[in-house]
Amino acid sequence: MNARCNRPIARLCSLPVWFAALFLAMAPPAVPAAGVGLSQLPQRWLGDDGRAIAFNSLAGRRVVLTMAFAGCHVICPLTIRRLQQMQRRFDARGERADFVIVGYDPENEGPADWRAFRANHHFDRSNWHFLSGSRDDTERLAHQLGFEFWKYDEHVMHGMRALVFDARGQLQLELDSDTKNWASAI
Amino acid sequence: MIKQAGNTARGLALAVAAFSAIAPIASRGAGSEGEQIAELKQKLDQSLKMIEALTARVRQLEAAQPASTPTAAATAVPADAQRIETVENRVAQMEASNAARGGDSSSLPMHGFADVGVANHNPWNPDLKGYYVGDLDFYLTPRLGTHTKALFELNFETDTDGSIGVDLERAQIGYSFSDAATVWLGRFHTPFGYMNTALHHGSWIANALRRPAFLNFEDHDGILPVHTVGAWLTGAAHGEGGKLLYDVYMGNGQRISGGVIDMRNAGNDHGQLIAGGRLGYQWTEGAAEGLQFGLHGFSSKIGDDQVPEHNTQLRVVGGYGVYDTDRWEHIFEIYLFDNKDVSGNGGTHKSTAGFAQFAYRAPFGVPYLRYERASLQQADQYFAQQAFGASYWRAAIGIRFDIDPKSALKLELANTHVTDQTPNQIQREYDDALAQYAIRF
Repeated sequence: MNARCNRPIARLCSLPVWFAALFLAMAPPAVPAAGVGLSQLPQRWLGDDGRAIAFNSLAGRRVVLTMAFAGCHVICPLTIRRLQQMQRRFDARGERADFVIVGYDPENEGPADWRAFRANHHFDRSNWHFLSGSRDDTERLAHQLGFEFWKYDEHVMHGMRALVFDARGQLQLELDSDTKNWASAI
Repeated sequence: MIKQAGNTARGLALAVAAFSAIAPIASRGAGSEGEQIAELKQKLDQSLKMIEALTARVRQLEAAQPASTPTAAATAVPADAQRIETVENRVAQMEASNAARGGDSSSLPMHGFADVGVANHNPWNPDLKGYYVGDLDFYLTPRLGTHTKALFELNFETDTDGSIGVDLERAQIGYSFSDAATVWLGRFHTPFGYMNTALHHGSWIANALRRPAFLNFEDHDGILPVHTVGAWLTGAAHGEGGKLLYDVYMGNGQRISGGVIDMRNAGNDHGQLIAGGRLGYQWTEGAAEGLQFGLHGFSSKIGDDQVPEHNTQLRVVGGYGVYDTDRWEHIFEIYLFDNKDVSGNGGTHKSTAGFAQFAYRAPFGVPYLRYERASLQQADQYFAQQAFGASYWRAAIGIRFDIDPKSALKLELANTHVTDQTPNQIQREYDDALAQYAIRF
């Protein structure tokens, strides 16, 4: 009934050898760069309307930045919901802020996909920007800002995180899944 | 006094230059290169200010004492300026290097999944009960370049007999022409249905606690060749409002050894192939957003380890449907078998297998319902020679709680009826209660 012992790979390899090889191969995790400003980030992005946009063009306003995956049905909807709560808080205060959502997976989700995402979720405000860029710029941005992610086939593994930059473009606040109420944190 | 000031300026500049030279080495061991660079820039700014002050002081003293030792001060300023320029260039290089590190092709990011659990019937072997270790699945995707891709999935798993085994579940190297076409070579998940390519080895990724039994991996008594060693062309054609998904593949025809399907990692002895394809359409916007339908089919000549050997021409067609949104996850799949005994006069045998699963993404968790059924002809040697080739049905209800973005707790209650009596299986009914803690890392 059972033929597990017949599998040649299991006979040839011992567990300690595999573990040693795996841990030797491990790369250090991404670490957020403290004190980073918007002007130090990659600037070549496309909005969901297909037009080029740079972070520098958002200078003078507060910016809430997160990274997301349009096909995510678990974490991203929750992140977006929290951003909407922040938007309501800004509105109540009469403050203006830009919300920037940068796609994790530009190879599979371009401006058209984010345009569909905007339409499907009824995001009609012009201060919400859904950006996609090159794979290099996306990885560079994620690395600079400490957004850890990895792709598992068509899935994108990522956490819940957003950063708030002040009107001078300097990092002001980091929000993550441990922050209970993002809206009250701003 | 002037000489002392000049020496101080030169020493300072040399110290900055020396620091800049060792900084890249030190920064590799540090936690944040961004912090290192910020600190270095701050020091450089301070040094520049100090050098400027010293230079001004030197000029002031030179003006006051024009006859005294002019050469040292005269040469110190241009030399310092040159060194400062060198330091600035070095900082710029470090910044560029740091920025590019996110796409460093030399790093090998490794991630994966793991799970443990407890059950009154083990998820893969109902004869065992109690606590169990699930999978420890490592996923490696070295970045090789714009077009060449690779992925490897190494799984430490507890087999149905309780022993720990190691499997290279996937080993694929591929060339991507564009999003529309990628060719993979190696061992991959056979592209049939939806679940086999969308939900892989990591339990965390699926809402349900386990796969349908007939879709289990080969070494967990699955009845389908869920892995293929061969070539796979896959891609998507984006259109207005949706995309067309396609897969075409061929590989080594599998073999049943000791009741388990062997995907023949090193080739087979009869040279026969598995060949198949899948075609689907996914709506990405509008009222049907999240809906996906597809058809699939494959054929493979599969032998076994009996004497004399049985050879079966496995012929499978089927379809799947998915509705996956922020609120719902519904999946159904159907497989129709029309297997032909090609080593004897066993004729052809028709069998069916399928499941339907309904899940709701509620704020507190993801409750789900699943019904699965397999009606497998026992005269078909393809099923008769497998460890779990018996007909069955199972009804299950479960729930998934996400503890945090990287861990989930799943609970499931199920009722299973094995409806065929086979040499490897007895006809029986049992109730399952299972709990699983699954993570990704």
